[in-house]
Amino acid sequence: MARYVLQRLLAMLLTLFIIVTVAFLVIRLMPTSIYDDPTISAEVLDMIQAKYHLDRPLIEQYGIFMKNVLFKGDWGISMKIQPNVPVFQVLGGKVPLTLFINVVSLLASIPIGLIFGAIAAIRKNTLTDHGISLFVILFISIPSFIYATLLQYFAGYKFGWFPITYTVSDVAAVKYLSLFLPTLSLALDPMAKVARYMRAELIESLNSEYILLARTKGFTRPKAIFRHAIRNSCIPVLNIIVPMFANVLGGSLVVENIFAIPGMGSLMIKSINANDHYLTIAILLIYSLVSLMTVLIVDLLYAVIDPRVRMGGKKQ
Amino acid sequence: MKEQNPILQVKDLTVSFNAFAGKVQAVRGVNFDLNKGETLCIVGESGSGKSVTNKAIMGILSKNAVIERGEILYDGMDLTKLTEKQFCQIRGKRIAMVFQDPLSALNPIMKVGKQITETLRIHQNLSHEEARKSAIELMGAVGIPEPEKRFNQYPFQFSGGMRQRIVIVIALACNPEILICDEPTTALDVTIQSKILDLIKTLKKQRDLSVIFITHNMGVVANMADRICVMYAGKIVEFGTSDDIFYHPAHPYTWALLSAMPDSESRERLFSIPGAPPNMLMPPKGDAFAPRNLYALDIDFKEEPPFFRLSDTHYAATWLLHPYAPKVEMPQELRKRIERMIEEDKKYEQQ
Repeated sequence: MARYVLQRLLAMLLTLFIIVTVAFLVIRLMPTSIYDDPTISAEVLDMIQAKYHLDRPLIEQYGIFMKNVLFKGDWGISMKIQPNVPVFQVLGGKVPLTLFINVVSLLASIPIGLIFGAIAAIRKNTLTDHGISLFVILFISIPSFIYATLLQYFAGYKFGWFPITYTVSDVAAVKYLSLFLPTLSLALDPMAKVARYMRAELIESLNSEYILLARTKGFTRPKAIFRHAIRNSCIPVLNIIVPMFANVLGGSLVVENIFAIPGMGSLMIKSINANDHYLTIAILLIYSLVSLMTVLIVDLLYAVIDPRVRMGGKKQ
Repeated sequence: MKEQNPILQVKDLTVSFNAFAGKVQAVRGVNFDLNKGETLCIVGESGSGKSVTNKAIMGILSKNAVIERGEILYDGMDLTKLTEKQFCQIRGKRIAMVFQDPLSALNPIMKVGKQITETLRIHQNLSHEEARKSAIELMGAVGIPEPEKRFNQYPFQFSGGMRQRIVIVIALACNPEILICDEPTTALDVTIQSKILDLIKTLKKQRDLSVIFITHNMGVVANMADRICVMYAGKIVEFGTSDDIFYHPAHPYTWALLSAMPDSESRERLFSIPGAPPNMLMPPKGDAFAPRNLYALDIDFKEEPPFFRLSDTHYAATWLLHPYAPKVEMPQELRKRIERMIEEDKKYEQQ
């Protein structure tokens, strides 16, 4: 197991390296220059370009960047958003905020989705099932920023249950309360997806012979389902967590803007628009790292839930 | 003849399924008794209602099934009228079932040991350790080598035959009176089949089980049965002792089944029954087998034949047995085959 994790971590490093390389090259292909302000004189511009090595060939720029990253751990400095501040210092307080709303919405949506999916499957073709399925379709087909806006208007402005935007406060409760609406609007879509998958998988499990066998043992139907079907149905649901999380991260770019959360999402858009190259790379790096970690965790979870995966690994 | 001591009686059982296209009449008035300590085989082709009959006995019919009429009498109770809670006291404890496909009957991600002890723990309130002991003992008894080690393994680490043994252990865990085997060897290869059949026979003797054995394989029937019910289109068309059915078959459907059985002697092309079973959404009027029956009479298409008595144990539902019916003999080829079987049987007994 440890060896497997190590292998996966090494593969992850390689993937990150490729992502950073591609990001570095692609970003520089964008047509505008960093400083397109016409008031800057040619001499100053030359000096700035020399400082950031922008006057060198692309390959050489990449070499310098990589050398700094690998040997000094220096990911460069922000050029426009907060000039001369090292990129990770700029990111500092923003990463936890973004991760918080993303991870919480994902973690909350999975159990809730599983429960609703299970209820829908057990009460298949009843009013309950149809009701759940209706919401599932709504939540999947409407993008998260629509709920974000609606929630902000109704729950935030009209009824005043929650703060309209992110509130900076020393009181943790106030801060987290203001994060509730964005988290909720991000959670609806994954919740619906999990519910939909769980419903389909559980219906299949319910028709399986081992449920019939469990019932011939003398279990009541609910007991047989609980003991024999639920866990089996969770295995395929794991499949969708990775693409789902990627989706949540994407949705959070917009939702953070709506609720004025000073997270990575808004920063990423700003840095791309401002041609703040090093900052953009750093943000991409963090997004990639988080996504790859999710992939790894999901793969390890497979082994925990499904003995066939675990044992299969042992034999080799 | 064993003394008549029915442990289970099925009377006029009628089960239909509400399907999208209408009502599928899967079982149409089935009557049979299961005597204590005997093996009753129910034979018939796919879709004849064998499995549905037994699922009704087990109380595990799917949700869209309706028991329209009839009763299943067991120990003074009518199983069709029990509540789910009462049924849970019977299933697994007093009536148990072995399924067709051991590959899908076991939960793939639960250790087999736990799947066995579950039954013991709900019905006999055994402690964890007691249940484990009892399960391991049973696993040894059905011929699973190294039961202690196997106890902690998962189904995917077992071969098909071993899995079927596990399913049998699960069924037998609480010492049931009645064991229903729903084509337990269909999914296994031939050498394993005979081992499992021998195992069921031995266990039946040891534990004085009454067995209902469902199959469509006449070879298996010959091997197992004390008495045989032949089912077609949701009805029993002929029933009798093993000798009655194999040596003196009377219903044209039984003739057809026996003719369609492969045998090492005959040189002719193997007989196959023409046509397909009827659509049970609209079961045909009269004898359901008539359209496929080479010996069908006019009346077969109009009126359903009652049971005609051939002997105390042997009854068949075909108009051919009516005193006014023309004399129709079973096909020559089958007659020869039966003579061969009788001869072989005698040789076997002499040895």
